[in-house]
Amino acid sequence: MLQQILALIVILFFLIRLFRQKKKKQITGNEFLLWLIFWVLALGAIIFLKQIDTFVAWLGFSGTAINILVYIAVLALIYQVFRMRLNIAKMEKNISTLNQALTLKK
Amino acid sequence: MKITCVIPAYNEEKSIALVIEKLRPYVDEIIVVDDASGDETSLRAAQTGVVLVRHIINRGQGAALRTGTQLALARGADIIIHFDADDQFQVEDIPEMLAPLQAGRADAVLGSRFLGKASNLPKMKKNIIMPLARFTNRVFFNIRLSDPQSGFRALSRESAQALKIENDGMAHCSEIIYQLFKNKNRVEEVPITVVYHEFGQNFSGGFKVIRDILIQKLIN
Repeated sequence: MLQQILALIVILFFLIRLFRQKKKKQITGNEFLLWLIFWVLALGAIIFLKQIDTFVAWLGFSGTAINILVYIAVLALIYQVFRMRLNIAKMEKNISTLNQALTLKK
Repeated sequence: MKITCVIPAYNEEKSIALVIEKLRPYVDEIIVVDDASGDETSLRAAQTGVVLVRHIINRGQGAALRTGTQLALARGADIIIHFDADDQFQVEDIPEMLAPLQAGRADAVLGSRFLGKASNLPKMKKNIIMPLARFTNRVFFNIRLSDPQSGFRALSRESAQALKIENDGMAHCSEIIYQLFKNKNRVEEVPITVVYHEFGQNFSGGFKVIRDILIQKLIN
């Protein structure tokens, strides 16, 4: 129970921060929406942990809901890193194209 | 037939002038692409009177070769030689490299360190990295070459025009070989001697090449 309360406090902290960033126009509308969905889902997962436990057991997994959430989080992070690596590679390619164009223009 | 030599150079102030002087009798034009060196590579090259271009930021050997090849084509090269700036390749091998192109037998000629001429190849590279690269070429790309990673190459104008070097780093070597075969070029290997001063890629470098090729595939 204490862990759930702590997790809720952390999520609320990030939600407040998110709204502040939006108010200061530090993030775009799409970014705000994406992170809002993410934190609301996290909030829901923490509040309905017991129900998710039941659901996970019904699906046939031996672990608890927290375990499953951690696995999903790790997979999501790996996927994000992969996406970021591809984005960086695209940016690098564009930089090289620009670099070459400027070099040959001189 | 205009023969142009492209030299990608990064921090090669010690060897660049020497390499240029050695190359002069063998080619009509030399293009040096200084990949934003932090030393006096540009100055040393400029003093020799070659065609010199300088990248604003460092982008790697593949990127420098791409720039140099484009420039060589724009300046009317009929044959383009890719040559390293570190004085490891031997200019005496150039006539043999050019012969198949000049005779019209080949569209691209690759220098090979494994066809008889002696090279002081590091043991790790010779016995592990190269056989692995050779195996990868055969199994995944159906390419049978004695040297799977040669940086010494001569290309006909048409062959160079069709080439699209995407990899900025060291993976360009494999990429060029792959494209030469994909573009149905007549590729010939010629024995060369390479004198290593400091040993280039290590085992992790080999993995980096594979990683770069995969990433390039994914973003294209």
